[in-house]
Amino acid sequence: MKKVLSMLAAMSMLLAMTSCGPKEDAGTTPDNSTGNSTVDSSESEKPADNGGAKEVLNVWAFTEEVPGMVDKYIELNPEFGEKYEIKKTIIPTTDGEYQPALDQALIAGGDDAPDIYAAEAAFILKYSQGECAKYAAPYEDLGIDVANKISEADIAQYSVDIGTNPDGKVVGLGYQATGGAFIYRRSIANDVFGTDDPATIKDKIGPGWDKFFDAAEELKAKGYAIVSGDGDMWHAVENSSESGWVVDDMLVIDEKREAFMDYSKTLMDNDYHNNTEDWKDAWFADMKGEGETPAFGFFGPAWLINYTMADNCGDDKETAEREGTWGDWAVCEPTVGFFWGGTWLLANKDTQHKEAVGDFIEWVTLDSSETGLQYMWANGTYNPDSPTKDCVASGTVMAKSNGEVDFLGGQNMFDVFVPANQFANGKNLTPYDEKINSHWRDQVRQYTSGQKTKEQAIADFKTAVSDDLAIEAAE
Amino acid sequence: MKTKLKGVSYAKWGYIFSIPFIVTFLIFSLYPTFYTLLLGFTDCVGLNNTEWKFLENPFDNFKTIFENNSFKKSLKNTVLIWVLNFTPQITMALLLSAIFTSHRNEIKGKGFFKVVFYMPNIITAASVAVLFNALFSYPIGPVNDLLVSFGFRDEPYNFLVYKTPSQLIVAFIQFLTWYGNTMIVLISGILGISPDIYEAAEIDGSNGWQTFWKITVPNLKTVLLYTLITSLVGGLNMYDIPKLFNKGGPDGSTLTTSVFIANQAFSGRYLYNRAAAASMILFALISILSAILFWLMRDKDEARIEKEKRDARRAAKKQQKEAIKWQ
Amino acid sequence: MAVVAGKSSGNVAFKIFGYALCIFLAIISLFPFVIMIVNSTRSTTQIQQHAVSLIPSTYFFKNLDVLLDKSFDPLKGFFNSLIISSCSTICTVYFSTMTAYAVVAYDWKLRKPFFTLIMCVLMIPAQVSSIGFYQFVYKIGLTNNFLALILPSIAAPTVVFFMRQYMIPALPMEILQSARIDGAGEIRIFNQIALPMMKPAMATQAIFAFVTSWNALFLPQILLIDNDKHTLPIMVSQLNGDIYRTEFGAIYLGLFLTVLPVLVIYFLLSKHIIAGVALGGVKG
Repeated sequence: MKKVLSMLAAMSMLLAMTSCGPKEDAGTTPDNSTGNSTVDSSESEKPADNGGAKEVLNVWAFTEEVPGMVDKYIELNPEFGEKYEIKKTIIPTTDGEYQPALDQALIAGGDDAPDIYAAEAAFILKYSQGECAKYAAPYEDLGIDVANKISEADIAQYSVDIGTNPDGKVVGLGYQATGGAFIYRRSIANDVFGTDDPATIKDKIGPGWDKFFDAAEELKAKGYAIVSGDGDMWHAVENSSESGWVVDDMLVIDEKREAFMDYSKTLMDNDYHNNTEDWKDAWFADMKGEGETPAFGFFGPAWLINYTMADNCGDDKETAEREGTWGDWAVCEPTVGFFWGGTWLLANKDTQHKEAVGDFIEWVTLDSSETGLQYMWANGTYNPDSPTKDCVASGTVMAKSNGEVDFLGGQNMFDVFVPANQFANGKNLTPYDEKINSHWRDQVRQYTSGQKTKEQAIADFKTAVSDDLAIEAAE
Repeated sequence: MKTKLKGVSYAKWGYIFSIPFIVTFLIFSLYPTFYTLLLGFTDCVGLNNTEWKFLENPFDNFKTIFENNSFKKSLKNTVLIWVLNFTPQITMALLLSAIFTSHRNEIKGKGFFKVVFYMPNIITAASVAVLFNALFSYPIGPVNDLLVSFGFRDEPYNFLVYKTPSQLIVAFIQFLTWYGNTMIVLISGILGISPDIYEAAEIDGSNGWQTFWKITVPNLKTVLLYTLITSLVGGLNMYDIPKLFNKGGPDGSTLTTSVFIANQAFSGRYLYNRAAAASMILFALISILSAILFWLMRDKDEARIEKEKRDARRAAKKQQKEAIKWQ
Repeated sequence: MAVVAGKSSGNVAFKIFGYALCIFLAIISLFPFVIMIVNSTRSTTQIQQHAVSLIPSTYFFKNLDVLLDKSFDPLKGFFNSLIISSCSTICTVYFSTMTAYAVVAYDWKLRKPFFTLIMCVLMIPAQVSSIGFYQFVYKIGLTNNFLALILPSIAAPTVVFFMRQYMIPALPMEILQSARIDGAGEIRIFNQIALPMMKPAMATQAIFAFVTSWNALFLPQILLIDNDKHTLPIMVSQLNGDIYRTEFGAIYLGLFLTVLPVLVIYFLLSKHIIAGVALGGVKG
């Protein structure tokens, strides 16, 4: 009894001390979002804080890539560096901490609010079309002649679609092009198909998954796996589907995505793959050709070659020894068109430095001249220390760049990757894809490992999504 | 008897010494906590939603949460994983603290072991979870390599898609990171017990086993209660290990209630109201379980002290009165 | 005689069991550290392909270069971490002991409700209140200020609870009473009599508080935006990058360097835990 009484007393203490809690909050929060007054007052304090001279530009990103570009921009435009001091905030996405932090900073506004922020393909829609779209400034408000620049630079449509807000204005664009290809080993192609010519191989593995599985059977007969794991296939399937996971606030399982269950099961039951999971030890080992059975290829964009495969194929930078599978690769058109990853740049609509922000963003995303970022990026001159060539967003830049790389035995990868961008689709994404995909892949694995029937796995997937996101299944 | 016990009460010092805690609590935790808990009765969904209002039927969110299969599953998982980790953890910690504080059987290298056992708690739980995920990876991974090369299995086993193995691994990680911590708490508790009691026991000829159960454990009761309560609270709030080991998977088997709550509140659709309702339910559950623990291990000592103090006060008053009489 | 013999054979069994258990546990407890140290000498590619290995490689200095080559200064991070962690440890331990003392040593009307309140706070699921917390810190403008991380540690319900539990059997009221008779003020009694008796408990909680604060990542990352204010764990986490450009070797090296100071602190403080034995005698 005494316990109950003291508990009650404690509760009433709590209540007494907080009875004004919610009201107070309802009063202060709107103040903050409409708050020109707060912004102004902090503006006037700022010079004092920084000793007077420079104005602060806050740059938020999840890697050093975008902040590094600001440094490069300053290097090329010293007057920009004299005028602005750059405050970089880099929070990796790996532990899921970037988004909550960025959201808070956007909501809070004021001095520490980001002026420029980066978003990755996995969550860009939240910032361009979803929850946080209201914080993003249309590029045209930053003084960028968007429509003309986009056609002049020949930016892939999927990249524009993704970066367009619900009002039809462009608020974000990427600098990379992440259209995907099929990246395969020449030696295996020669052994099984008698040639390593991309023109022939592309007809062996596609178009369409039926041909892909025919090829898988041929490869299996010679003791090869066609891919490392079903994750390799998923990115291609996901992006080639007609509709995204959520349509009119209801969960929809596109036919092509549902078919992925069967594909994955086929891969599993016929031993067409090594049953690895992407980004795990065994997956990387397959790049070097050290897996259980040699894997024929991977689905991926140019960055997968540069940042992941090249290093993992045995390219020892220390000794410049090229061993493993280095140089044994080639790219061809994928079974179905898709894109994977990419970084989009956004600007805060409340930024006090619209012109500066606009200049920088234009240089990164839309400048197709030889002094623009993308030209340097594509030709490996951006960072002399690591002269990797990468596909960039501007088709104009790609047309005047040379994509011949040793890793692919001298093949010009741009021949494949530039058209690949045309097949990529920017319209079947939703802001919840990261979560829904992870539920989906989880249930598919439950099915392929034989722990569940297909029907059960689909039913459990629907429950999981509804429980997690309050998005009910259609029908 | 010229004791100058002032007639003043010392009670005000109780208030004075609690001021720092109360002030800090009021400033830094009360508002956030209360604010978020309040959201459980509202329709607040979405980032920076300032237009939320209280629901007409205030318990709608609770109803939704109780009907939420993942939530129910998460409660079961949480309790299961906690029991799986806490049973060996407290057993091991008691055993080790008995070994290390034994007066008769000095273990050499005691200091070394004590340091080493606490070490897993020093690295962030996140790193340990990631390490274990790598250890059990499939088809190539250290554990699988060992299993196959020693002939325990013909083929590698995909630990991470099966439920029970995943739950056991998470429980083991939790055990590994916390047993040293629990051990240190118990050791410091044992060291707080007066050596005189042990000397007396030794003179009485009781053996180590008897001493441990008859003297150490009863005297350790308050600290044991602390261990039980904090492990319960910590265990039922378990977040980073299941989250980083396998995102609560496979098939939601390591989805703990805290992971569920964080998923609702900080990602996807920002279902703050549901998350708040879920945390209130979790809070209620923890409170009930803690209350049971408190009751089971209720402080007879404290009750005794209370009584002694009351007696002392009465005696003091009596003395004072007598003193007055004398004057 | 027989009794003595039986006793000593029991002791031998006890010792053998004790050593076996300790050695086994030591191996599994050290395992993560060994992996961490070995991996700090391996290249990212090596780690990606075989995440766990006991064979060191030759990339230690390469990884160190990566670590030092970044746009941050690990030494600065170390000092920032040290300031935050030491201050919050001191706050936590001192004020929690004080709060526990208020609950144990004095008889006041709201004592019980207050303790129940502390227990309630302890049980609140932590995940949800964090969002309100940083909204609040943003509002009062304490971002980029170490105080936002130090001050809240004054109210640490878990530590108060521990101190109370420890104090109940370990702090005899008679001693306080006699100090009062000697004319000592309440504050002096607390600082000079109660505090020293709580040393083992304080050392224990100091270790825990220090480790927690030293390893904290989530709140510091959100609250300390300024590069100059970053703590060591924030810097290590920046090596993470996104999933496809992670410098694993440098991360393990960074983790290793982060853990080292904690080990030193632990060694220093664990001596005080042992010192508790001697202090116990005072109680009589």
